[in-house]
Amino acid sequence: MRNYENLVIVKPTLTAEEIQASITAIEEIITSNGGEIAARDTMGMRKLAYPVNKNERGYFYVMYYSIAPSAISEIERRFRINENLLRFVTIKYDTNREVAAWNQLVMKANKKASLPAGEAKVEEVAVPAALEEEAEEVAE
Amino acid sequence: MAERRKYKKRFCKYCEAKVDFMDYKDVGALRFSLSEKYKIMPRRLTGNCKRHQDMIATVIKRARAAALVPYTVTRKTVVTAPFENLR
Repeated sequence: MRNYENLVIVKPTLTAEEIQASITAIEEIITSNGGEIAARDTMGMRKLAYPVNKNERGYFYVMYYSIAPSAISEIERRFRINENLLRFVTIKYDTNREVAAWNQLVMKANKKASLPAGEAKVEEVAVPAALEEEAEEVAE
Repeated sequence: MAERRKYKKRFCKYCEAKVDFMDYKDVGALRFSLSEKYKIMPRRLTGNCKRHQDMIATVIKRARAAALVPYTVTRKTVVTAPFENLR
């Protein structure tokens, strides 16, 4: 068993129910191949950095799971067939340092999921302020 | 006598912050190592150490594949404040 992370971008043209349905279908693919989903992180609808298949936005969804390495090719094959997905990114967490990071990410995602929606918003607003500082540093 | 340095000595900001792992979804943290045109900044300009430069390069490439960070920004495809693109 090895730790993985999958980021999935679902088509924005679908309705909310259809997005939920396709996400459960994606999770079903992972669990049916013997994976255990440790955490889920909904990043929600956001603008893409560049248009993908003429879509400007996308619904971001992240899953952290552990699975046998041989099953990944099958999962990726199924993702490629799926027409509701714009993109998927699979990340392997292999070395000790990465596994430790994975555990932290899982904890963070679970914490975020248990928080009420209002507090999560505050975090998002706080991010751009930090960016500007760093951008200024670069300019110097 | 040793020749005096013309510039301030550069140091790796990631070493100073003791960064062990970078998350590609944390887009704000990548901004430091990206240029205005969203190219990966070279080590000689940022002062990153080799280890952290390698880390940031892979992380930026992952973020690009995930459409979190643009590959290129030209005059035609200007992204207005791409890091504030939440919803």
